[in-house]
Amino acid sequence: MDTVCIKSQKQIPVIFSFLFLSIIFSINSVSAQDGAKLFKQNCAVCHSLGTNKITGPGLAGIASRVPSDDWLIKWIKNNNALIKSGDSYATKILADNNGAQMTVFADLKDEELKALVAYIKAPPVEVVVTKKDENGAGGKEEEKGVNPLAILIGVIAFLIIIVGVLRGVTHSLRNLQREKEGQEEIEQVGVWRELKIWMGTHKRTVAVIALFILGGLLSASWDGLMGIGVYEGYHPAQPIAFSHKIHAGDNAINCQYCHSGVEKSKTAGIPTVNVCMNCHKGISKGPSGEKGTAEIAKIYAAAGWDADKGAYTKAPSPIIWTKVHNLPDFVFFSHQQHVKVGKQDCANCHGDVKTMTTVKQDKPLTMSWCIDCHRKTEVPGIKDNPYYESLHAKLKEKFKNLPKEEQVITVAKMGGIECGKCHY
Amino acid sequence: MGNTKYWKGLEELNNSPEFVQKANNEFAEQIPVEDFLGDGNLSKDNGTNRRDFLKCLGFSVTAASLAACETPVNKAIPYVVRPDEITPGVANWYASTYFDGNDYAALLVKTREGRPIKVEGNDLSKVSMGGTNARIQASVLSLYDSSRITGPMANDAPATWSSVDKEIMNKLTSISAKGGAIRILSSTIISPSTMAVIADFTAKYPTTKLVTYDAVSYSGIIKANEQTFGKAVIPSYNFDKAEIIVSIAADFLANWLSPIEYARQYAMGRRVSKEHARMSKHYHFESNLSLTGANADERGPVKVSEQGKVAVNLYNAVAKIVGGSPLSSSALACDAMIAKAAKELTENKGKSLVVCGSNDTNVQLIVNGINQMLENYGKTIDIENHSNLHQGDDAAFAELINDMTAGKVDALIMYNTNPVYTAPSSSKLADAIMKVGLRISFSDRSDETARFATYICPDHHYLESWNDFNPKKGQYSLSQPTITPLFAQPRNEGTRQAQESLLLWAGLPTDYHSYIQKVWTASVFPMQGKYMMFGEFWNNSLHDGAIEVSTGDEKLINDEADKEGSKKEEKKKDKKKEEKIKEEKEVAKVDLNAAAQKANGMKGAGEFEIALYEKIGIGTGNQANNPWLQELPDPISKITWDNYVTMSPADMKGKYLLMERQDREASLVNVTVNGVTVKLPVVPQPGQAKGTVGIALGYGRFRAGKLSQQVGVVGQNVYPFIQMINGTMSYSVMDAKIEAANETTELAGTQVHHTMMGRAIVKETSLEDYKKDPMAGNHPEMMRTNSGQINPNTVDLWNEHEKLGHRWGMTIDLNSCIGCGSCVVSCTAENNVAVVGKKMVMNTREMHWLRIDRYYSTEWSAEVSKAKEKADERGEGLVAMYLDMENPSVENPKVVFQPIMCQHCNHAPCETVCPVLATNHSTEGLNAMAYNRCVGTRYCANNCPFKVRRFNWFNYNESPDFTFNPTQDDLGRMVLNPDVVVRSRGVMEKCSMCVQRVQAGKLEAKKAERKLKDGDIKLACAQACPTNAILFGDLNDEDSAISKLRRTDERNYFILEELGIKPTVSYLTKVRNCELEEAEKEEAKEEKEKA
Repeated sequence: MDTVCIKSQKQIPVIFSFLFLSIIFSINSVSAQDGAKLFKQNCAVCHSLGTNKITGPGLAGIASRVPSDDWLIKWIKNNNALIKSGDSYATKILADNNGAQMTVFADLKDEELKALVAYIKAPPVEVVVTKKDENGAGGKEEEKGVNPLAILIGVIAFLIIIVGVLRGVTHSLRNLQREKEGQEEIEQVGVWRELKIWMGTHKRTVAVIALFILGGLLSASWDGLMGIGVYEGYHPAQPIAFSHKIHAGDNAINCQYCHSGVEKSKTAGIPTVNVCMNCHKGISKGPSGEKGTAEIAKIYAAAGWDADKGAYTKAPSPIIWTKVHNLPDFVFFSHQQHVKVGKQDCANCHGDVKTMTTVKQDKPLTMSWCIDCHRKTEVPGIKDNPYYESLHAKLKEKFKNLPKEEQVITVAKMGGIECGKCHY
Repeated sequence: MGNTKYWKGLEELNNSPEFVQKANNEFAEQIPVEDFLGDGNLSKDNGTNRRDFLKCLGFSVTAASLAACETPVNKAIPYVVRPDEITPGVANWYASTYFDGNDYAALLVKTREGRPIKVEGNDLSKVSMGGTNARIQASVLSLYDSSRITGPMANDAPATWSSVDKEIMNKLTSISAKGGAIRILSSTIISPSTMAVIADFTAKYPTTKLVTYDAVSYSGIIKANEQTFGKAVIPSYNFDKAEIIVSIAADFLANWLSPIEYARQYAMGRRVSKEHARMSKHYHFESNLSLTGANADERGPVKVSEQGKVAVNLYNAVAKIVGGSPLSSSALACDAMIAKAAKELTENKGKSLVVCGSNDTNVQLIVNGINQMLENYGKTIDIENHSNLHQGDDAAFAELINDMTAGKVDALIMYNTNPVYTAPSSSKLADAIMKVGLRISFSDRSDETARFATYICPDHHYLESWNDFNPKKGQYSLSQPTITPLFAQPRNEGTRQAQESLLLWAGLPTDYHSYIQKVWTASVFPMQGKYMMFGEFWNNSLHDGAIEVSTGDEKLINDEADKEGSKKEEKKKDKKKEEKIKEEKEVAKVDLNAAAQKANGMKGAGEFEIALYEKIGIGTGNQANNPWLQELPDPISKITWDNYVTMSPADMKGKYLLMERQDREASLVNVTVNGVTVKLPVVPQPGQAKGTVGIALGYGRFRAGKLSQQVGVVGQNVYPFIQMINGTMSYSVMDAKIEAANETTELAGTQVHHTMMGRAIVKETSLEDYKKDPMAGNHPEMMRTNSGQINPNTVDLWNEHEKLGHRWGMTIDLNSCIGCGSCVVSCTAENNVAVVGKKMVMNTREMHWLRIDRYYSTEWSAEVSKAKEKADERGEGLVAMYLDMENPSVENPKVVFQPIMCQHCNHAPCETVCPVLATNHSTEGLNAMAYNRCVGTRYCANNCPFKVRRFNWFNYNESPDFTFNPTQDDLGRMVLNPDVVVRSRGVMEKCSMCVQRVQAGKLEAKKAERKLKDGDIKLACAQACPTNAILFGDLNDEDSAISKLRRTDERNYFILEELGIKPTVSYLTKVRNCELEEAEKEEAKEEKEKA
């Protein structure tokens, strides 16, 4: 026992030092990788890594232009102070940019600044991603695939032909045999006649089959009728191949950054072009190369932005999107009610948009679907939102004798499935 | 109460066979199944047969399902750059002001995605006090009027602004250079900045003069005040401070001077409760039964020619008591009532008010004399803080016409006026205008006058404009654009604000917004002490919309250039400096005897006199192209889409004029005045003075816009009947010839259908009774059972509703409701209610969710009992008795108004009969209607005791028969409330108690994580009410105003509660400030004995 103890005590500093090293290593490594990230977060809105000017000058060849790395760090950290100190190169830059000053980044730490400068001086060569599923071609390919129904019909037709041929073969074989035996040839009976004879002799089987067929037809037409006006899976092509996967998924942009009305209004709102331009002033290339660039150019056209001059020069025109989620006119639906008050996650109704290249209607959006949720969901905030105070007390009293799981105050129990709540 | 017989129209009183038949049917007319099925071809021979029907059915089912299978592709177009203040789906509110030269109200404008969709009153205004009227409520639709012209016109052809401006400036310069007269003809301008603009314009073209002319003029009052007080102004009246109100034909609740303001004051003075069991008493003398007369406690019908005599006799009666010298007078039939009024007036010196609607200076002088004797000046009448509304000067207008006819005027600029339509026929205005070389109109359409203009320079709509207003001394308000001009470059040449046009022509910078700021910096800003910086003051004023400043004796209107005007003002100032004694001396100078002689001298020359009046919907006719207003039933006659002659039934007898079915069919008569003849239907009007008929102004506009093409010209223009007497416009016609035209025409009234079958649904009492017993007039009908009499309310077939969450309730104070119809138009705007047109109203298919029932009441008297006995002896029934009753009562019936909308019964009969559960009850006490579920069986309408359900017989939004519906116009559609569904054919609809507002109010509270406060939610009808008669709130909230009222007020009652339907809407008994009738006294005694 003792020796074991000693042995383990000896190991502690070793473990500690290992841990310490690994932490330091990890910090260092994070900083190093962050050069790119920091650039995207702080600089990319105004600066490109190429030669073109956005709001600020392009940064290609910066190392040869500026006096020193230290100067560059000072400039990024507080260009204002540098200008005031009378630095000659700083004042020159100010004059070059018509007196427009750069934002001050006093919050950036020295290590971060070093990583940033390192990144700016030697940005990695961009790798053009050519994977098909990322540029939205996947969906189209699926459409091009052979329809399984066609295969089925083909197989059935093939089988029918085979059955017919085999029937002919057996018939002639039988006749051959009869000929051998010296009997008369039998005339070939038509398929229909034979079927009729068979049906006459197998009435019960026929009745059962007929019932099945009838049942199948009824259920199919019922399903068909119920499906009228339900557009689950609807994914229309959009004027711009905007990918939620890239924006909300890969870049993890919060839904509300673009759909800003969701907590304020009944509509979540489709972002206006100027919201796109917040980022796309700096990002003119997509991850998938040519295609992305062409699509982003459509935003520029809508905004009237001239990427080369870095200015809004042309007349803007709105983008005409195709609405994916359509509710009938006789339904009143409010996003703020569900998101702000009801604390619902966007994905509950819109599905996992983060993975969608083209947005599709993920849920049926039928009334029964709405009601199902209203029946299941406990009213968020019923216990702490003062609005519900007296209602909560009364409902609690009302349901206190029910089994525990039925005591949950759902939206439906508060009148949330009444006609007048959504139809007016 | 029990002795009062209420009837909704003469048909009911006469109990005509048609009426009885209609009363028994739910839908008054035969239901035209054949028409309904198609275009009528199907039913050409012998109707539709079974095979055709099945074919149609099969085809439509297939077509419908095929159509439904197609995925609808909807587009969504976001802004390129979203304006900061707009969040799509969220309403923005802007303070603004409505003033059309006639009505004034400070407003809040609700906009959605940059479109104004509703206007509501602004509580901060001390003038309109949060009230609106029907015309102002409807004004938002006038913005989206596709009949507006979209750019300037030169000689009836579209032109460009640059060319028009160039030509006008050249012409103005040459006219001004040769000293030719330039005249600006305008309706009343209460905008200090506009006056400054005109002053600037006059500085550039010194021969300019402003002539103010109002379609309905009050210059008689102005002249009288100039003579009495040396102040040519209209005073402010305080109806709330008056205990006794005597009105001689002044329709102050609907049209006279500033009706919104007066209605609010009037209601404040007449609000009663147990603790405050007093109210003002209102005497009314008039010829037509006006809205104000209908609300009066005592009403005396007098001929138009006798109105002056009433004033003289009242003067004498008051003088007799206070000891003044009487004027020469003649006896009148209503002298007893005058004496009674005089007695009460003198008992309430300084707390009384006498007003008169006459535009005759002499009559107004006598009325001033009465008010002076009663010491009302400085108390109920404020001549210092005078009103600026209605500055029209008839004499100046007459002079202008003379000048124009003589060819002395070289340029005429017309702003906000339509004189060719509104001027008297004698003026021959069209000819006079054509003699003017340069004719410029700022009209927004090519109307009756603008079509004669050389140039039409269309002005913005008020919702697109900047402007300022000074309705009353010390009261200011602003209007701001709530939408970018609808007609603008590059799509159209565009409209332009009139003030900017004038500034441009004067060679000044045209930005009117900064111009107003400049004017305010100099004039309004120094009068207030709250803000140090102008920017702060301006922003707050703009935010609040209406402000009050202390005036002292500063000069308000910046009209330095108008030298004559300033001279006048100097004179006025001098006079002000003199003491009151001098003023009194001046008063003595006024020769009241001469005035009385002239007032007495008015005599009807022919068989009939005419009292011209304004309707509450159409008013002066400037919004005649507004279908909401055309479809608003007149509060008294309940007739829509027409004007007509109202005649006393007694006068109609023996003239072969149709007296029954006045809501559908009427005889035509030719009315001739001054050689002008118009053909109008004649309607028997109870309460109409014998010998006088009434005809409404504002109709017969043939160039008002597309409505006149779609449905024909509505009504007839009777403005030509106006005469100039003693230098003022007279709206009383002394000599009219009326001849039966031996023709009939159709009228669309909403009056007799939806009858209540004579059940007591309006409860009323007198103030005396109320003081003794707060339950007076409201004793519940008892039900006899084995265990004695019980209140039917205590018996219930169903279980009580749970008391969870909210339970909405509404209470309407019948004592405050004046029946003006503001709520009806507000409801139409808020809930996208369809306009159905004259024909459909005739088929009893109007869609208004909220209607105002008007009942006439007849007192039973000993005479009536005799009539009953007589009828019984003769073996005749009730019909004969009612006919006997007609003579004394129809002459002057009492009137009650009752707004009826869905009563949201807690045990609703409509809910139990719906086969598809399209209508059902919410836990919040609302009777909900799911349109998408409704299959149109109409069982619910059949089972509704209140007849408030409305069925969409046609697709009013698409059918080519209803092109006048705003939903059928690309522009008109912009007025729709996006939170409310537009209903289609085959669907039942009704009042939803503005469930969209209720839900929105709740959501705001939930988002802010707070309790819902009483008053957070205001319904469309309640906010539009100028008298605050409608109270809405949560009955489950013990502290809400409505809960308190229901607990404590004995006047609270539910209509038809004996049916056990438990309505959610309740009413408060109407209290009249009149003495008990003898029979009532007897009844009261009997009741006491019983008790």
